Amino acid sequence: MKKSTEVLVIGGGATGCGILFDLAQRGFKCLLVERGALSYGTSGRFHGLLHSGGRYAVNDSDAARECIEENFILRKIMPHCIEDTGGLFVSVPGDPLDFTDEFYTACQKVGIPVEEISPGEALRREPLLNPKMTRAFTVPDASVETWEACKALVESAQEYGAEVLTYHKIVNMLVSNGKVTGAVAQNVVTGEEVIIEADLVVSAAGAWGGQIAHMAGCDVTVYAGKGTMVAMNYRMVNTVINRCIKPHDGDIIVPIASVAVIGTTSVRVADPDKYAIEDWEVQLMLDEGEKLVPSFKQFRALRAWAGVRPLYQEKAEGADLRDVTRKYTLLDHTPRDGVDNFITITGGKWTTYRLMAEETVDLVCKKLGTERPCQTATTVLKSPGDKKFYTLGQRLEKIESGEWSGQLICECELVTRPQIEEHLAHDPTNIINNLRRDLRLGMGPCQGGFCTYRAAGIMNEYKRLSAPETNKALVDFLQERWKGVQSVLWGQHLRQMQLDEGIYLGLLGLDKLPTELSGLDRGRIGEVETEGYFELETRN
Amino acid sequence: MSRYDVVVIGAGLSGLTTACQLAQNNQKVLVTATGIGALLLASGCIDVLGFQPANSMEPVKNPASKLDAFLAERPNHPYGLVGRANLEAGINNFLKLVNQYGLDYQGDFNHNWLLPSAAGAVHPTCLAPASLTKGELSTGESMLIVGFSQMRDFYPTLISQNLNEQDLVKAEPCLIDVTIPRAGKVDVVPTEVGHAFERAEFRREVIKAVKSKSKGYQRIGFPAMLGLRQHREVVADLEKGLDKPVFEISALPPSIPGRRLYEALKEAFLQAGGKLILSGKIVAGTIEGGRVTQVQLETVSRLKPIQAQHYVLATGGLFGGGLAAHQDGRVTEQVFGLPVAAETNRHKWFNPHFVSPQGQPVFNYGVKVNEHLNPINGSAEPLAENLYAVGAVLAESEWAHGRTGDGLAVATAAAVVKQIS
Repeated sequence: MKKSTEVLVIGGGATGCGILFDLAQRGFKCLLVERGALSYGTSGRFHGLLHSGGRYAVNDSDAARECIEENFILRKIMPHCIEDTGGLFVSVPGDPLDFTDEFYTACQKVGIPVEEISPGEALRREPLLNPKMTRAFTVPDASVETWEACKALVESAQEYGAEVLTYHKIVNMLVSNGKVTGAVAQNVVTGEEVIIEADLVVSAAGAWGGQIAHMAGCDVTVYAGKGTMVAMNYRMVNTVINRCIKPHDGDIIVPIASVAVIGTTSVRVADPDKYAIEDWEVQLMLDEGEKLVPSFKQFRALRAWAGVRPLYQEKAEGADLRDVTRKYTLLDHTPRDGVDNFITITGGKWTTYRLMAEETVDLVCKKLGTERPCQTATTVLKSPGDKKFYTLGQRLEKIESGEWSGQLICECELVTRPQIEEHLAHDPTNIINNLRRDLRLGMGPCQGGFCTYRAAGIMNEYKRLSAPETNKALVDFLQERWKGVQSVLWGQHLRQMQLDEGIYLGLLGLDKLPTELSGLDRGRIGEVETEGYFELETRN
Repeated sequence: MSRYDVVVIGAGLSGLTTACQLAQNNQKVLVTATGIGALLLASGCIDVLGFQPANSMEPVKNPASKLDAFLAERPNHPYGLVGRANLEAGINNFLKLVNQYGLDYQGDFNHNWLLPSAAGAVHPTCLAPASLTKGELSTGESMLIVGFSQMRDFYPTLISQNLNEQDLVKAEPCLIDVTIPRAGKVDVVPTEVGHAFERAEFRREVIKAVKSKSKGYQRIGFPAMLGLRQHREVVADLEKGLDKPVFEISALPPSIPGRRLYEALKEAFLQAGGKLILSGKIVAGTIEGGRVTQVQLETVSRLKPIQAQHYVLATGGLFGGGLAAHQDGRVTEQVFGLPVAAETNRHKWFNPHFVSPQGQPVFNYGVKVNEHLNPINGSAEPLAENLYAVGAVLAESEWAHGRTGDGLAVATAAAVVKQIS
C-alpha cells in the first residue's frame, strides 16, 4: 500500500500526538505512525504527573518556568484529562532546611504559585503524611490521564483531516540524494507494508529517536533512562506529595484513581525495549515512600513497572543521569547531518509536550517555507460530554444513579460493560491490555483476577472472535500481568495470585485450551520485553 | 481452659473432612478457622489427579491407574507419604460423609468425570455432584448451554466454541433475557441467581425462554447456580419443564456447589457433636517436651488457651493463609512457626510463565512431615507426637497444574483420622 502526505510524524506519545494536532490545525496534510497503541511508549508508562515545576525550580529554572506556563495552558485546553490534586513539597527530619528556603525563593522567581503551610495544616489535609515533617509548601501539581490526552489530541487532529496509523512500526526510512522522502511502515498485525511518501518527516520517537535517526543516516544518541515506579494498593494521599530536596530517587507519590504510585529511579539501560525491574529499586521505592508516609509499607505493592526517559545531550560523558537536562532538543538534520526534510524532537517531559510540539511545527513551517501561527495554547481539545475529569467517585455516582447502566465488569475500578464494548468498537486488536490502559480494567486491588475472564467473554461475544483468539488474549494478558507483579510478589498479593491460579487453571482450565492461531501472531503485538524476574536472577 | 480430644485448625476441605470423621468416631472435636475456609472458591468437585504429566493436554481417565506415574515424577508429594490405600479410603470416606447429608456425589477412584469448565475446557474430576456429572463430555451427547444476559460471570458462547473446537460434543450457546429479581439494584452474583431459581415463577420464565431453543439438543447446561438449599427440587422441576436432562457447570467464585458442600460438611460436623468457631484465629501454639500443650485462640479481649489430646493443622498453604511469604524471602508457618521447606531467594519462587507445566516453585513450599503426618525437623524427627498436618500446608503439594488439591485434602484426612482413632 502507498500513502502520500505533507508531514509524516513518527511516534504516538504525547509529543507526537501534540505535533499531529498542531500540524493539522495549521492546515498541513499529516499522518502519524505509531508501532503500538497511542501512548504505548514512555507517555503511557510515566508517573502521571503534571508538573508545577517546583521540582526543577532550584536546579533548572528554565525547565521550571516552562513547566508552570504549560501547566496553566493544559488545564485550559484539556480539563477532562487532568485531576486537580494540587501538590505538596514537604521536608522530613534530616532534609536540609536551607534547601527549603532556596526552593521557596526559586518557585517565586519562576512564577510558580507557592505557599507555605504549617505541618499541622498539611496533616489536616493529608492525615497519613509524616507527622514529624518540618516544612510544607503547596504548589499547583496535578495528575494527568495520558491516554485521554493522546486520544483528545488525535481526535481533534482528525477533525482537521489528519490520519493516524497505530500498530505500524517504521522499518525503513526512504532517503535519496541526501533527502528524506518518506518511510516504510509495517502493520504489526498483518505484516503488510505501507510506503509513505512525505515532504517532511518529524521523528517524535522519544527514547527510540536514535534508532529512527539512524535509519535516515543521522547519528543521534538518546540515552534511555529507566525510571521504575510501584503502585500501592491504596489512595493514601489525595495530593501529589514531593520531597523538598534536590531531585532524588523515590521522592514523589502521585494518587491515581484508587492507587498511589511512588517513583522513580533513574538507571541508564542500553535498550529502551529491554529492561528489568530490580529488587533494589523496589526496596528503595518502599523505603523512600515510608519517609513521606510512615504507614507506607503496610499497604500492598500491586505492581512495579518502568518507563524510559529520553535523555539527549550533545556532550554527556560521565554525567550523572539526573543532570542530563530535562529540557527538550529539536534537531534540524539539514545543517547537523546534511540530511534534508528530516527533524527530530527528543528529550523533554510530558508536561511540556505542547511547547515541544509548537516549536517543532514552527520549524516545519520554516523548512517548508510558510508562516502559520500556532493556536494550540488557546484551543480547547475534543472531550466527552461534560468535559469533566472522571474520578472513581464520579463513576460510582453514575452507577448508583443508574445513569451508567450495564453490568459492572471490573468492580475495583468500576468499569461497565457498555464502556468495554465502546472501547472494543474502536480497537482493531484483541489485546486486553488496551482495555486496561483505556478503562483501567484490572488495575485495582485484585489486578484483574475476575474481570479478565469477564472481559475476554465480552470481547468474544462482541467481536465474534474464535475460541483460540479469545483463549490467547486471555493467556497473553495473564502473562503480561504476571511479569508486572513478580518484583513485588509476596504477602497478601502472592495469596491473590495463587487464588488466580486456582481460578484460571484449576477452575477454568485455561492451560488446556487451544491458543494456536493461523497466520500472524496477533497476540504479541509490540509489548515491551520486560525481563522476567526469574531470568534476571539467572543473568546475574 | 477448654479441653478437647482434637482441635482442628482450619475449616477448608482437609480440616472439615478430618473433623467430621473424627466427630463421627465419637471424638470431642473443635474446629477453628480464621475465616470460613476456601470451599466457596473452588468448583465443589473432588479433583484427585487430572493431568499426568501436568503439561499433558489429555485428561486422566482413571486416576488410580496413573498414580504410580505421578509419584515417579513427584516422589515427595504427600500422595506418596500417605499411600494409595489412604487416597482410596479418603475418596470413599468423602462420598459416604457428604451423601448422608443431602448431597449426591458420584464417582470412584478408578474413574474421572470429564466435565466442561466455564471456559469450555475439560475438567477431569473424580467426585462430583449428580447435577454436574450429567454434563459428562465422553458421552458425546449434544448440549445447549444457557446463560443470562444479566449474569456477567458466565459466557455460553466461549464455552460452546471451545467445546466445539476440541471436537468433544456439539454445543450451542443460548443467552436468555429473564428478570433476575433485584438485578439493577444489586450486582447479579451467583447467589442472587441461586435464590432466583428457588422461585417457581422464575423457573417458569426460564423454561419458557429455553424450551423452544432446546430442540435438537440432548441436554441443557446452566451455570452452577440452580438453587441453594432446594437444589434437588430446582433441578427436578427444570428437567420436568424442559423435558431434557439438565446439568450444571461450575463458574467463578462464589461457587454454589462449593457452598452446598460447605453447608453439608458443617451440618455433618455439628450433628456429630462437633464444636465450630468461625472467624476465630489460632495465632500461636506451644510445643513442650515433644508435645503440643496448647494453642492460643485470638478473641476480642485476650488470647484464650485451648488444650486437646491431638492437634491437626489444616490451615492451607499460602492462599489458605497457613503459610506466609515475606518480602525478605522467608516463608513461615503461621501457627507454630514450624520449619518450612523453601528457598529464601525470591527470584527462585517463580517461573517466567504464569501458565507453566512445572507450576510455581513457591506454591510447592510447605511443612515437611513423616509418614504419620507429624511435622518433622531437619533430622526427620517429629517435633510433636500429637501434632498432625493435612492438606495444602504440606510441602511438595502444589495442586493447580496437575489438579490434585482435593485428593490431597481427603487422602491426608483419611490418614490422620486413622492415626488418631
